[in-house]
Amino acid sequence: MAMFDKTFPTLDCAACILTPKMVQVGQHPNIKLMTLSEVEALSGYVGNFKVQVRQHARYITADCTGCGECVEVCPCEHPSEFEQGMNQRRAVYRAFPQAVPNWYSIEKRGVPMCEDTCPIHTRTQGYVNLIAHGDYANALKVIRDVNPFPATLGRVCHHPCESECQRGFHDEPVAICALKRFVADWEDEQGLAPEPFKTKPNGKKVAVIGSGPAGLTAAYDLARKGYGVTIFEKYDKPGGLMRTGIPAFRLPRDVLDREINWILDHGVELKLNSPLGDVGVTLDDLESKGYDATILALGTTKGKALGIEGEELPGVVNCLEYLRNANLRDEVETGKRVSVVGGGNAAIDSARTALRYGAEEVTIIYRRTRDEMPAIGAEIIAAEHEGVKMHFLVNPVEMMDGVDGQLTKVRCQKMRLGEPDESGRRRPVPIEGEFIEVETDQCILAISQLPDLDFLVKDEDFDLTKWATLKADPHTCETGHAGVFACGDAVTGPSTVVEAMASGRQAATAVDIFLTDGDMDYMRREYHRPTDLPKMDNVRQPGLPTVKREEIPLNPDAGITLKEVELAFTEEQAVAEAKRCLVCAGCSDCRVCVDACDKGAIDHLMQDEVSEIDVGAIIVATGFELFDSREMPRYGYGRYDNVLSSLEFERMCHASGPTEGKIITKDGRAPEAVAILHCVGSRDENHLEHCSRVCCMYSLKFAHLVLDHTGAEVYNFYIDMRAFGKGYEEFYKRLLNEGVHFIRGKAAEVTNVAELPEEEGKLIVIGEDTLLGMNRRVPVDMVILSGGLKPRADADELARRLHLSCMQGDFFLEKHPKLAPVDTATDGIFLAGACQGAKDIPDSVAQGAAAAAGALVLVDRGKVVLEPITSSIDDEVCSGCKLCLQNCPYDAIEFDTEKKISKIVEELCKGCGTCVAGCPSGAATQQGFEDDQIFAEITGNLS
Amino acid sequence: MATDQFEPRIVGFLCRWCSYTGADLAGTSRIQYPPNMTPIRVMCSGRVDPTFVVQAFAEGADGVMIAGCHPGDCHYDVGNYRAMRRVPMLKNLLEQFGISPERLMLTWVSASEGRKFAADVVTFTETLRRLGPLNFAGETKATDELNLKETAPAV
Repeated sequence: MAMFDKTFPTLDCAACILTPKMVQVGQHPNIKLMTLSEVEALSGYVGNFKVQVRQHARYITADCTGCGECVEVCPCEHPSEFEQGMNQRRAVYRAFPQAVPNWYSIEKRGVPMCEDTCPIHTRTQGYVNLIAHGDYANALKVIRDVNPFPATLGRVCHHPCESECQRGFHDEPVAICALKRFVADWEDEQGLAPEPFKTKPNGKKVAVIGSGPAGLTAAYDLARKGYGVTIFEKYDKPGGLMRTGIPAFRLPRDVLDREINWILDHGVELKLNSPLGDVGVTLDDLESKGYDATILALGTTKGKALGIEGEELPGVVNCLEYLRNANLRDEVETGKRVSVVGGGNAAIDSARTALRYGAEEVTIIYRRTRDEMPAIGAEIIAAEHEGVKMHFLVNPVEMMDGVDGQLTKVRCQKMRLGEPDESGRRRPVPIEGEFIEVETDQCILAISQLPDLDFLVKDEDFDLTKWATLKADPHTCETGHAGVFACGDAVTGPSTVVEAMASGRQAATAVDIFLTDGDMDYMRREYHRPTDLPKMDNVRQPGLPTVKREEIPLNPDAGITLKEVELAFTEEQAVAEAKRCLVCAGCSDCRVCVDACDKGAIDHLMQDEVSEIDVGAIIVATGFELFDSREMPRYGYGRYDNVLSSLEFERMCHASGPTEGKIITKDGRAPEAVAILHCVGSRDENHLEHCSRVCCMYSLKFAHLVLDHTGAEVYNFYIDMRAFGKGYEEFYKRLLNEGVHFIRGKAAEVTNVAELPEEEGKLIVIGEDTLLGMNRRVPVDMVILSGGLKPRADADELARRLHLSCMQGDFFLEKHPKLAPVDTATDGIFLAGACQGAKDIPDSVAQGAAAAAGALVLVDRGKVVLEPITSSIDDEVCSGCKLCLQNCPYDAIEFDTEKKISKIVEELCKGCGTCVAGCPSGAATQQGFEDDQIFAEITGNLS
Repeated sequence: MATDQFEPRIVGFLCRWCSYTGADLAGTSRIQYPPNMTPIRVMCSGRVDPTFVVQAFAEGADGVMIAGCHPGDCHYDVGNYRAMRRVPMLKNLLEQFGISPERLMLTWVSASEGRKFAADVVTFTETLRRLGPLNFAGETKATDELNLKETAPAV
């Protein structure tokens, strides 16, 4: 009722009637309101019910004062249920301003797929929505909570999040990666330097060997937890493969330096030119210097060889060495006709780098097809754009030399695709006898990389896996050497930046646990356990308009130089792109509201609470649902802008509603003619057979409001007018006198296809006027569908939980249609309002009062009378077989172990008689339904 | 015009909560259905002792109908499941007595399914008309000699 504007027939304000009542209830000392709660189970009987109630987490504690500051900052918008989707509300919201209790709550639906897929679980939906709201600083804060490299990952991440983005199942995924880059670059452009997080030193020291993404992330995490961290780096610059492997035209050096420096700002010490091993630092050194734990993040530094003839020829070079020379020294020996073997990012980077260091022609040799290339799609396109040639389905079998011992050709076997292998990609199979030769003077091998661990495995604590990577516990990262942990590519084999970061985070967590309570088993159990929250992997929004994904701008001046090729989104682009997010999870978990709340009333980790309450009587007043007019597509609801449901029109009329009480069309015009269609869904064999009782009268109320607010012509299409209540017929007469047009006949169709000039740009209601005996076409600007009332979608489920009766899709059944209209078949449970059948407000209130009286009778009497129909067992006859014990659904039968017979506990017996029917010795009888009595009935029936 | 078509006699065991109320609803809704079935109210379809059914046939019934709440809706949680398990065994037994298992009907009627109740009675009456009179009592020994009440095993 709170959604209504006016009530019929008196036209008084719904809020004025309801609000005082709601406040009264909210403040009553004996009433405990449990909102956002659900009955899960019911047991017991009249006077002694036990109700199991699940109070859903509202994520806001009772300290909330209702100030609404959190709403101001919340970036997640959803259609408001209260406003019938005509307005947006935030993920933190209260249903409506007068709601009782006047509390806010946060809607969390589950884990969005972008966050779930991200190896480091960045709260992606959070920062995307903050960008959509222009709150870039907080967006960065959300990213940096788990990711110290927003600018780097914003450029080079392989963004698995985008493959799972639910928008991608509609049109194209949100450009999540590019949005991350946008905020990172925005901060730099604004000249803002990010503040390091505050840390509290805990006095413990951790050494990290290697300054790649794994090592740096581990150092970052540990430093934030208060550890004193020292990073030992083999080369003279930090960054690992981010620096030595990724070229500057994809990741400018100043960007990388800035982000590494920010990590160092957290008190991390960096020692360059300090390799692990005899020439640099050894594990014993570290122990003697007082490091409590060590993390090995050694990475992969050795290229894998093809194992073919001629591989040792001058001119054959590994991509790691090639890229390292180019990226660290800016000087690298490059041929004129360069070939690159491989299809990953390293191959593409090598090819594009070769073009920048003097190669005239670069060819990629790959044994599968373009579709199977593991490199990032955009990078492959960029390489092609720059003129890199690609040979697919060929595999090198021999490096051939010319007269002077120099490489001249790569001989390649032609391949075709066979069955998929364990990685899901189709396995290349050689085509016997078919070869090609690629002319080349330098061949860069970019097939795979391995860690260089020979020096380490001399120590017997360390072991290699069969893939030649370092052996470490997959959950706790522990190596055989106590206090030494390993992570990154050296453990996992070649991966991506973000995957290495995830591995670094895991090692940091392990070290933290190791140095605090040492419960590594806990980590083994919990670290990879999936969350309990549902995954939002099936978010579909039918009717969502298609919006093209923003294109990443390219640097027009870059050419084929070391200048960065891709640019960041412009601000307009970024906001537009971020707005494409479907906000799958409700709340984005960005936690900006936590900072906004002065009272500290927001708790994002709140859990549902299940409680059991003892009650003597239950009143069910769960109301109704409005018929969904989409089920009748001929009326155009959901297709035409100005076809409204009745509740939408109620909200439109309301002064605090989406149009502030103005009755206007979608484009803001006052309508000149309005049609109101009665009996939409009701009295219809295909939908709801019953008459919904209120639609005639609220349609009259609508007609009056339209006339009153706009003076438009109003046409009511009705089957017959049902004005049965007090003052209703008089109200109908009043409307007849006000000049509303009544057309007797159910409208057949609403269309926007004009046949006459005056129908242009209008909605045309087609229907038969059965009084005139002719068909009519009525052009109008707005159509209101007076939908019927139907039981709530979950009524069946509730009926089952409360042991009520209702046929599928039907209202709850009362005990007797005439004599017991508010009782149910279960004593102590009463019905009130539209959950029992469609009814108007006075009837609902009367039934509510009757139900309350029914409950009060029970309370007043203080005792309940149970039916005497219980079972009993004849001691003399019982054989002690115990069959009845299994038959009884209420555990109301006890077995006397001394006498070896069964006994009925009368107070628990409900009198179903199942035990009697199943008693093989005839010892059990049921009072009032004894065998002899039923036999006599049978005889009587058949005589 | 009334014809001399066979009018089977049916004994119905209706559970108090769903099916009996459903039958009541059929009545208050003025739904027409054959008067061949005479109901016996039991608290639950689980109360229907197989002896009742055999006794009804022995005393001259042409068919027996057991109606309970839909599975999952039993007022006593699981009584109708007990009935559901007993009936197939009982049908086996009836077959051995030479009674067609079709003469025993188990159906689910909720309290709001007056129409379904009436439809079930119509169908069952038609089935029994097709099968013809049973005359079990006449063809076997007198009922009291058979003494079913004492000997029929509970299932």
